[in-house]
Amino acid sequence: MSQVLHPIEHKIIRKLRDSAGLTYDELASGTKLAIDQVRRGLEWLKYKNLIEIKESEIFFVSLGKNGKDALERGLPERRLVNYVAQQKVRTLDEARTILPESELNAAIANARKNGWVEIKKENGSTTISLKDQTTNSAEEVLLSILKSKVQVDEIKDKDALESLKKRPDFVVFDSIKSKRVNLTKQGLEIATKLTESVGERKLTAEMLASGKWKEVTLAPIDVEAAASEIYVARTHPLHDVINEVREIFASLGFTEIVGNLAQSSFWNFDALFTPQDHPAREMQDTFYLENIIAKNVASLNQIKKVSESHKRGWKYQWKLSEAQRMVLRTHTTCVTIRHLAEKKPDEARVFSVGRVFRNEKVSYKHLVEFNQVEGVVVGKNVTLRDLMGLQTEFYHKIGLKKVKFWPTFFPYTEPSLQSMVYNERLDKWVELFGMGIFRPEVTKPLGIKNPVLAWGGGIERIAMLKFNLDDVRELYNNNLAWLRSVPKCP
Amino acid sequence: MPVVTLYFDRLQKLVGRKISKEKIISELPFIGLDIEEQTDDHISVEYSPNRPDYSTDYGIALGLQGLLCIKKGMPEIKIKNAKYTINVHPSVRRVRPLITGLVAKNGTLDDETIRQIIAMQEDLHNGIGRRRKKSSIGIHDLDKISFPLTYGTVTKDHRFVPLESSAEMSISEIMEKTEVGTKYGHILGDSKKVPIILDSHGKTISFPPIINSALTTISKKSKNLLVEITSTDKNTADDSLAIIASTLQNAGFELFSVKVSGLGNTLSSLKPRTTILQPDLVNRILGLNLSVPTIVSSLKKSRIGAYARGNSTIACSIPRYRTDIFGPMDLVEEVALGYGIENLHPTMPHSSFAGEKNKITTTLDSISELMVGLGYSEAMNFGLVSKEVQYDLTKKNQSKIISVIDSKSQGHTILRDSIMPGLIDTLSRNIHEPYPQKLFEIGVIFTKTNAEIREEIHMACVCAHNDVSYSEVKSVLQSVLKAGFEINCETRMSSNTMFSEGRMADILVGNKTMGFIGEISPEVIDNFKIRMPVAGFEIKLTDLVF
Repeated sequence: MSQVLHPIEHKIIRKLRDSAGLTYDELASGTKLAIDQVRRGLEWLKYKNLIEIKESEIFFVSLGKNGKDALERGLPERRLVNYVAQQKVRTLDEARTILPESELNAAIANARKNGWVEIKKENGSTTISLKDQTTNSAEEVLLSILKSKVQVDEIKDKDALESLKKRPDFVVFDSIKSKRVNLTKQGLEIATKLTESVGERKLTAEMLASGKWKEVTLAPIDVEAAASEIYVARTHPLHDVINEVREIFASLGFTEIVGNLAQSSFWNFDALFTPQDHPAREMQDTFYLENIIAKNVASLNQIKKVSESHKRGWKYQWKLSEAQRMVLRTHTTCVTIRHLAEKKPDEARVFSVGRVFRNEKVSYKHLVEFNQVEGVVVGKNVTLRDLMGLQTEFYHKIGLKKVKFWPTFFPYTEPSLQSMVYNERLDKWVELFGMGIFRPEVTKPLGIKNPVLAWGGGIERIAMLKFNLDDVRELYNNNLAWLRSVPKCP
Repeated sequence: MPVVTLYFDRLQKLVGRKISKEKIISELPFIGLDIEEQTDDHISVEYSPNRPDYSTDYGIALGLQGLLCIKKGMPEIKIKNAKYTINVHPSVRRVRPLITGLVAKNGTLDDETIRQIIAMQEDLHNGIGRRRKKSSIGIHDLDKISFPLTYGTVTKDHRFVPLESSAEMSISEIMEKTEVGTKYGHILGDSKKVPIILDSHGKTISFPPIINSALTTISKKSKNLLVEITSTDKNTADDSLAIIASTLQNAGFELFSVKVSGLGNTLSSLKPRTTILQPDLVNRILGLNLSVPTIVSSLKKSRIGAYARGNSTIACSIPRYRTDIFGPMDLVEEVALGYGIENLHPTMPHSSFAGEKNKITTTLDSISELMVGLGYSEAMNFGLVSKEVQYDLTKKNQSKIISVIDSKSQGHTILRDSIMPGLIDTLSRNIHEPYPQKLFEIGVIFTKTNAEIREEIHMACVCAHNDVSYSEVKSVLQSVLKAGFEINCETRMSSNTMFSEGRMADILVGNKTMGFIGEISPEVIDNFKIRMPVAGFEIKLTDLVF
């Protein structure tokens, strides 16, 4: 436990060394600290076991309604003797009129007790005669003390208090609870060693400039105390995963290409041999843009060749107007195929990453907008096994070691495979990227001669595996509590 | 994707060998089926839409037989000639010109078989039938029908008792009052006459593509069936017919032809297609060195007919129900599946390419790095956003909204034209988190000019804490442009409903307006239920830094 004291602690301990058993308020006024500082300092000191705090209750007494009345008009016994003196009363019967019956007897008893009067029986009547009525009784003394509220402990004449207490509504009691602070044995030991000078809390530029630093000593500080939390500014965790994917692709020899999010149906669907009446092209799966049409979707030759491929393969009347409808791209493949159609490379390794859109209901496993990555390899001798090899290498680099492949179907690749990776946390195989070789119906019309290996999928799935998320929406909630706590290097 | 239910005991019978559940479950993915659900007595599997022949357990059993080497090669569909005929009346030309069919006799139906057949019918309607538009199927109890049939048209006051009904209804009533009528009625357009199939006694058999007559409903007692398919496309109709023929044959029925005549309709030939496959293509694509006999054997395991013709070609027969096979590349995949995907070992292709990230990407990453250095954390919001956040709460001008058609999600209906509203919304969802909150986002925004869409990359940042001010965010703006690109910017007083009057400026670089900066107006802050002052800026990066 560190015994380096903060200046606040320092002041409190010194005060307690001088006078024990102080309340918080007394400490505040005695140390000239704000009450909040006192509270904080006491909290630290208590944690260090240098002080103990005792809770106690303090009782107060003050005058009740009848007490206040008596303060003004005198106690009944005083009023009795005053009357006797003024009216020259001789017998008790004559005195009766001054006080109500209920108070009279007590007043007589008290006046006698105080030695103010003498009561005698003479000739069948009871006489009253004054004695030493000028001295104040103990009750009268107390009554004037109680003009303002007094701590019960401070009243010395307990008998008088008892006497007033017996009278109805003469005095009232109340109490407040208070905490009193004392030094512990350990605290006392430290207190005796404390010097008056704390030292300078802070080294200032002025001290350095003026050379005053040579005369000052710096107060030790509590270097073990907890510091408040600050939040590190950082890039979004999903962005980090996207960048990691980019790095891996680049390290595998792939060059990044970019393209627009809004695309004509021609490049999103037609160029990929998706027939114009294919269910995937319906509005319930794809976002079409309202009142926006692509004017020049592709070169005349490209349009001619693609439409022929559709007519031959799907046996229907292909329409340019359908190909001109603008969509939010449903995959990054439209970017890839446009690039390949333009460059017609014999050999290439390119990749594309970015947002894609699906008209779905948002749920824990579906978003309307997510990130997809896609890589393609063009080459004379590239094979399906190469595609599997690249895929396996990619997963290894991203930290997924167990990979297997199943057949699947994609409209524009043949053969097609899906990759499954083993999720340790869920103890099951989960589907990840899809892959295949572009169909000749896709590549031939666009003048691409060599086989094209293509593979890709959603990056959010990888991010979910990395950050142990079960709900994909969490990636886009921008919940600061999560963004501030998720490790940069999971 | 469509789903099929497979009962283990039925499947074992159909496959013809008592294979264990575990074996079934482990093999199904290798014919392209994904297991969705698993219980003690059955599993549900998803099949790819290109394989409608897998829409019943009969079809899946054929696939399993091949993969497990129980039966290999092409299953033959045997259709005997018979005298059943359908005469087509010219009046159907405009509404639905084509019809085909077949008869299946001497079979038995149980509940599960009927269920499988109906599920198949639905899948065919939705898939290759394009929700009945291209083709629709009617399956009838043959014994209730007298031939020849007439496929013609009637007016909408024609009455009959439709399927699952006990009373006669007119065509109009069916189209207006029944679920199928309202769902599929639009296929017939506004034609006054609708297609109808009548038997030789004039009894209504079917009102395609909407509903069958109750008269011919199939049940467990039905022994003989009529299948008719009406369509707008001959090939699609034959695709469906082939799948149904294969299924019914596997369910134990004998098949007979139905002749169609009139309006150019012809008998459907469900004969296999033949094609040639070069072994060299197979080995080149798969990266293997398979012998011709191995390729032949693999094709047969995929239920494709195959034999070696000489040393360098393989003759293949593709059953008519394999509607997914277009050319040699599809057969390469069949070889891969027959050979076994698990037997393909990954290889790493040689490459001499040096990869690199895109210039724009790296530039944007550098900007992110600068913003993080300035204490701002990155947020990621969607480009497809809600009108409420983008325009209503921010009081932005709504004249150039770009909408998507028929979004299923209320929160995603328009394309953002600015990033800042999303960031303010992010602040509003974090009001209980400690301040200061400093956020930035870089992303695509969309603008529209004359029905043409343009995409630009913007960056926006917001800063929220009790002492935030215009000058604080202006410092950030200046610093990031200066540190990143040695760009000096100016700010010129402007106004915008999102910001407090007199505390908002346009950002100018050279003499071009590249963005805006200011203190968000208290009204907008309050609209977002934020209880902290907010300032921020947004700047166009396209044409500025790349």
